[in-house]
Amino acid sequence: MIYLDNAATTGKKPPNVINAVNSALKYYCVNPGRSGHTLSIKASEKIYNTRLKTANFFGFDKPENVIFTLNCTNSLNIVLKGLLSSGDHVLISNLEHNAVVRPLMELNKNHGVQFDVINAFADDIKSELKEKVRANTKLIVSTHVSNVCGKVLPIKEIGNFAKEHGILFCVDAAQSAGVLPINIKEMNIDYLCVAAHKGLYAPMGLGVLIISGKTPKTLLQGGTGTNSIDLNQPLDMPESFESGTVNLPAIFGLSAGIDYINNKGLKQILTHEKMLCERFYNSLKNNENIMFFGYSSHNAPVVSFNVKNYSSEEVGAYLNKNNIAVRTGLHCAPLAHKSLNTLKTGTVRISPSVFNNTAEIEKIISLLKNMR
Amino acid sequence: MDRYVIATGTITHAVKGRDLLKNKGIKAHIERMKHQAEKYGCGYSLLVTTNNISFVENLLKTNNVKVLNVSKL
Repeated sequence: MIYLDNAATTGKKPPNVINAVNSALKYYCVNPGRSGHTLSIKASEKIYNTRLKTANFFGFDKPENVIFTLNCTNSLNIVLKGLLSSGDHVLISNLEHNAVVRPLMELNKNHGVQFDVINAFADDIKSELKEKVRANTKLIVSTHVSNVCGKVLPIKEIGNFAKEHGILFCVDAAQSAGVLPINIKEMNIDYLCVAAHKGLYAPMGLGVLIISGKTPKTLLQGGTGTNSIDLNQPLDMPESFESGTVNLPAIFGLSAGIDYINNKGLKQILTHEKMLCERFYNSLKNNENIMFFGYSSHNAPVVSFNVKNYSSEEVGAYLNKNNIAVRTGLHCAPLAHKSLNTLKTGTVRISPSVFNNTAEIEKIISLLKNMR
Repeated sequence: MDRYVIATGTITHAVKGRDLLKNKGIKAHIERMKHQAEKYGCGYSLLVTTNNISFVENLLKTNNVKVLNVSKL
C-alpha cells in the first residue's frame, strides 16, 4: 500500500518510535506520578523529559505548562471551553477544522459566545482582523496550516495583532507540528494545540496543549496523584489538566518522534515532502481532467484535487483499489471547503510523509492520468 | 551538611526541582511525601542535602517549582 494520508495520521512510524513504544510497554508499564516505587518514578522522569523536549521543540521554557491530552481536538476544547463564557467574542479563520468550529457552535448556542470568521486568503490579514475585532474579542483561534489545501497562515502576524490588542491567541497546529518551525514566544502564541500522531510521528491517542497565556478552567476533574486530601481539583499544571492515567506508551513515542525529527532535520523533511507535492502538481497541472484547489508552492505538503466527472469518493475508491491510500470528502473542515468552493464535491487529498518517495508519486500520477 | 524535605506536591515539580538542584551540584532525591501526607494527602517531595537551604529555596522559586513546605530532618 502506498500511504499518502499522512495529514490524517502518519502511517509509517520511525523505527525509534516503535522501539520506544515497545520499551514503554515492556519496561515501564506502570502508573507514573502515582506511586513511590522506583519504576513509577523512573516512568515519571521519562514523561517529564518529554515535556521538556516538547517545550524546547516549540521554543518554550516551561515544561510544566506542557499538558498531555487525548488528541488535538481535546486540546482545542480545553482552550475554548475553559476560557470562554457568555458575552465573549472569538475570531477564527475560514480554514478551521470542526475541532474548532463545533465547540464554538456549542458555546454559541448554549453559552452566548459569539464568533466571526476572517478570510485566510486575504492579502492583508491585519485588515481582516481589524475589520472584525470587537471590544469583547477575547480570543483568536487560527489553524497554522489548512488540513484541506495546505495553506500556511501568517501565524506570527496574527500573534502580533493579538498581542497589540490584548487578545489571547490559540493556534491549531495539528497539521504543522513537526512540519513547520513553530516558536511559541516569537509567534506570541498563548495556546498551542498539537496532534502527536501526525507530523510528530507518535502513536494515536495523544495530543499536546502548551499553555503560555491565561490558564483555562479544567474540563476534566479527578485523580491527579497530588493533594488528594482536598476534594477540589488541584490548580498546579500540568497535573491539574491530566486527571486519570496518562498515555505513557504514546508519550514515549512522542519523545522518540521529536528525536527523529531533530536528527533528520525539520527543514530537510519539509523540503522532501514539498518536493513530492510539487512533482505531483507539476505533472498534472496541465491535465484538463485534474483540478487543483488552493495549491501554492508556499503551502505545507498537502495537495487537494478532483478528477473531472468523478466524485472525490470515486477517485479515492479507484486509488484504494490500486493500493494507494488518500483522504476524500470534506476532511472535517466544511468552512475550508466553502471558501475553496468544494463544499458539494469535497476533494481528494494527498499528504506525503518523510517515508514517501518519488516512485510512489509517479505511480499515483500515472493512475490519475489513466483514470477513465 | 543538613538534610531537608521539600514538599513539591506534583511529580512534575519534583523532577524539575531535582534536575535544577542536580545541575548546581546539590544532591536531591525524589520520594513520596511522608512528612506532609497528613496535610496534603498524596504527593512528592525532594530529599535535599545542603548547607544553604535559602539558596535551594530561591533556586526553586525563581524557576517556578512549587514548594509547599520545607522541613529540616
